[in-house]
Amino acid sequence: MCSINLWINEERHDKLNQVGLASVAKDVLAGMKVLQLQCTKEQKDRVLELYPVAKFDSATTKSIELLPAEAKDKMFNLVIKKRNLDIIEEFFESIS
Amino acid sequence: MRHVGHGGKEIVDRVMASPSEAKDCIRGLKQIAITGRIARECINIAYGFFTPLEGFMGKADVETVCEKMTLVNGILWPIPIVFDISKEEINEKGIKKGDTVLLVYQDKALATLEVAQIFSYDKAKIAQSVLGTTDAKHPGVRMLNEMGNKFIGGKVTLVNTPRFNPPFDKFWYTPKEMREKFAERGWQRIVAHQTRNVPHSGHEWLMKGAWFSANGELPVEKLQTGILVSCIIGPKRVGDYIDEAIVLGHQVLHETRYFRDDIHMVSIVLWDMRYAGPKEAIFHAILRENLGCTHHMFGRDHAGVGTYYDPYDAHRIFDQIPEASLNIKPIRILEWWYCPTCGEVTYSGLCGHSQEKQAFSGTMIRSMIQDKVKPTKLIFRPEVFDNLMECAHEYGFGSPFCTEEYLNKRQPIFELSIL
Repeated sequence: MCSINLWINEERHDKLNQVGLASVAKDVLAGMKVLQLQCTKEQKDRVLELYPVAKFDSATTKSIELLPAEAKDKMFNLVIKKRNLDIIEEFFESIS
Repeated sequence: MRHVGHGGKEIVDRVMASPSEAKDCIRGLKQIAITGRIARECINIAYGFFTPLEGFMGKADVETVCEKMTLVNGILWPIPIVFDISKEEINEKGIKKGDTVLLVYQDKALATLEVAQIFSYDKAKIAQSVLGTTDAKHPGVRMLNEMGNKFIGGKVTLVNTPRFNPPFDKFWYTPKEMREKFAERGWQRIVAHQTRNVPHSGHEWLMKGAWFSANGELPVEKLQTGILVSCIIGPKRVGDYIDEAIVLGHQVLHETRYFRDDIHMVSIVLWDMRYAGPKEAIFHAILRENLGCTHHMFGRDHAGVGTYYDPYDAHRIFDQIPEASLNIKPIRILEWWYCPTCGEVTYSGLCGHSQEKQAFSGTMIRSMIQDKVKPTKLIFRPEVFDNLMECAHEYGFGSPFCTEEYLNKRQPIFELSIL
């Protein structure tokens, strides 16, 4: 498994609060908040194929980073809509 | 004063100092327009960064580098430095052994190349032996595939000295100049930190840990060990940090005294990364040996890309070469991570809370910034962040990352005069 990190800025924090999801954001690195969307190896490979600019940080964090903003915004909006973090398959459907 | 570089050879100096002498010497020569990579390598060869190389390699050297990781004369050398050209251009211009040709970069004369040999070499063989793969997705393999189908071996003489543009002008030192700087500072030991990144606190701690290792048993009442930050300046891709942010980010750490003035300096070196992992680690060590460094730090996955190399291959290769073949010591470093129990960024070789570790990386921090999230000061100094935003405005056309606009419109790193 690996994760896709959606870093929580003020705007995203407000949206999470509005739907009662503020607690799903993890506290990391002494003061930062992140939504960690888990994905399987197959899902990871598909994301990297869809977005060649993204990078799987295999050396250090084991996470997919540098996804385009519109992809991350779409994922975040799906989290808000579904009110949970298990949205990767819906994300693939939404862009197909 | 004699400056001895790699292989016990005097630092190469093939720079024509007099413009009028240069003008006479290039008159009537056949001209070859060269790429940025070749231009950077001409500059490096001529100023001695690649000592003992005096030019681009001939076939025999390419062969032994691939097969034995040495030059024909037995000196350790891991990566072929070659001048590529198409067969068509050779024929069109009638270039032959014994000629001296003028290498022209961006329409200006840069260097002469004495044509000692014209040869072919199997680029796939170079890829397999140096990079360990022929996969076209590997950037080093792509670089080889894009090269012309012939090579010219021969000595290079720089006829036109590059003029570095701000902010890079303050950070470029030739090997001779660098050694003089070290002597001025009274540095007995110098540990090189190679970087292509804006520094986060993991990098900062890498450097500080390496300083301790390099300083070793030396007395500490008067400090005699320095950290040389050696920023690689080469080709960029969309999404990379802009070069100005990298160099000035490190300089900010210096100016805001996260490093004492007497133990730290920032510099740049021109190099097109091959991403050759362990073999490139050896090459980088040679480069910094020629700059006068005594030690070179290597973290995890040095010069690696994707999953082509094991994360510590670049550490292990130094155990596979004769100690006397290199006059610079590797300092091998594990990861630094944030530990919530320790309450600090700490060293994986010391912290026993690995189950709780929170790793961070330059890539992760780039993601945070793209998500418009300011990294916490624990992992990214606020002064470096502020400098990053200033560089975005001053140099990056609004972004701290390379965009198409930056790549097309940025001020060149260096310029040449018309001879």
